[in-house]
Amino acid sequence: MAPLVEVENLRKEFGNVRALDGVSLRVEAGEWIAIMGPSGSGKTTLINILGGLDTPTSGSAIVDGTDVARLDEAGLTRFRAEKIGFVFQQFYLVPYLTALENVMLAQYFHSTTDEREARAELERVGLTDRIDHLPGELSGGEQQRVAVARALINQPKLILADEPTGNLDEANEQIVLRLLGELHSEGHTILMVTHAPEIGQLADRRIDLAHGRLARSPAASR
Amino acid sequence: MRGSRGRMAVALIAVISGATVISALLGLEFDIERQLTQQFRLLGANVVISQPGSAHALPSWQASAETLGSPVLMDQAPVLAQIERMPGADVVAAAPFLYVVAHAEDTPVVVAGTWLDQTRGLNPTWKITGHWVRSRDDEADCLIGRRVARQFSLAPGSSLEIDSLDRSAEVRVAGVIDAGGTEDSQILVNLPVAQKLAKTSAAGQIELVLMSIRGTSTAIGRYTEQLAAALPGYSVRPIQVVSQAEGNLLDRTRLLIALMVVLILVLTALCVLATMAALAMERRKDVGLMKALGGSISRIVALFLAEVGTLGAVGGLIGSIGGIGLARWMGLRVFNASIHARWDVFPLTIALMVGVALAGALPLRLLGKVKPAVILRGE
Repeated sequence: MAPLVEVENLRKEFGNVRALDGVSLRVEAGEWIAIMGPSGSGKTTLINILGGLDTPTSGSAIVDGTDVARLDEAGLTRFRAEKIGFVFQQFYLVPYLTALENVMLAQYFHSTTDEREARAELERVGLTDRIDHLPGELSGGEQQRVAVARALINQPKLILADEPTGNLDEANEQIVLRLLGELHSEGHTILMVTHAPEIGQLADRRIDLAHGRLARSPAASR
Repeated sequence: MRGSRGRMAVALIAVISGATVISALLGLEFDIERQLTQQFRLLGANVVISQPGSAHALPSWQASAETLGSPVLMDQAPVLAQIERMPGADVVAAAPFLYVVAHAEDTPVVVAGTWLDQTRGLNPTWKITGHWVRSRDDEADCLIGRRVARQFSLAPGSSLEIDSLDRSAEVRVAGVIDAGGTEDSQILVNLPVAQKLAKTSAAGQIELVLMSIRGTSTAIGRYTEQLAAALPGYSVRPIQVVSQAEGNLLDRTRLLIALMVVLILVLTALCVLATMAALAMERRKDVGLMKALGGSISRIVALFLAEVGTLGAVGGLIGSIGGIGLARWMGLRVFNASIHARWDVFPLTIALMVGVALAGALPLRLLGKVKPAVILRGE
């Protein structure tokens, strides 16, 4: 069976800066991968390329059979809508839309909105009572759970989480990690960028980057 | 709209203001013909019927004793009967006229024989001291111009003897008129009195008929043509000064209104444009996020256009309502008459405002250049 993610000799340069320098890796469907490394090691650049937010300078990045390096602007947009669920460190919720509307926004970009489904997704992440609240009225943990609900609403093939607990206190961090654990156990494929080794240990496997190259990719036990 | 209430409020105020003025101007535009027609009817008669060849340097009804020429007379019966029979016109007033140069206290004076019960309808701007004569059969009362009153020291209730050749008539002054024209130097009597003062052959004869018809200059022209066809051998013509002045003023007023509407549309679009340019910059981060979530630029712009379109529609609706009040106020100030509310102004104003708002949303094209990765990196 083909891997869900297959990266071959991936390079990304920003002017004279080489953010990724020949990275190759594979991720099987259903895996939870922790991408770790110091700041500037290319973690975010890697998941931005895998998520179709950025294009590589060279190499290939195949996700669910689609080489994102070959997609044009419109193709990348469609790819993001259909195959990727993003969870960002800064949450990135639209501040003037309620929790429900933020989730429905992702539905709108994918196909059509379905309020009942959006409500169910928010209930699943434990926000039954906060559905009609604006992001500014929610705690950081609640905002991140809205972001998780938004990432899941279109049943993406791949969830990309960039420091999902980086802005949370310990209690909320545990809630979000438990949520990611549940998603993993349901069979979702998760690529998670993190600085924290104890969070990285929760993943099936850990990929370390340094200076844009793979440092190691050990198998990890839970 | 929730995201940028301040900016959207500014744009909404601009749209409401524009819509209010445009709605008022469109209301005026649609009602202007009726208003101008009414105003011009205040100027009095607008159709004259006479015998061909009776044209003088001055029309008889504007002549003084010195300038009145020899009249060419016509039988009153067939002309007046035809006017009675003619359908298709809103006749405010119509009256025959016969002008005679007579003498009062040995001083020549123009006596105008007419139907005095129609005088007020033909001359709505005249002011009177005393009272109008209500019957065309009243041979005892007359109206006199203010110069005649001053010249002969007459007042309402005074008696006046008028002589013409070997005939004379004694009449009582019912009212003194201030016409602001040559009628101020005339004595107006009912037609039979003038016919008796004129030479014997003038019995049943008149010089002309003046009519005041309510309607547009086109409608009056059409009626004049129909009446001319029904009265062969007579000269039936609109009083050109009034008709042409009405047409010219109507055209100029309409052009002015059209130019103002275009100007206001452009100004409103510019205001919305400035707001939308600022809004596009303000929401770059949101747009970057939307693109990251898989939003195509067409779907993202559709969201913004829905906001802008709603803004235009709401602003247009509120402005249309305000425009009714403004149009009424302008109508009272400009025309001294109330402008009728025209409901067809509503959809037109709203459509114009939606169009202007969407045109003002051109800066949203800038959103196509937003790179989600760059925005999410915080650059």
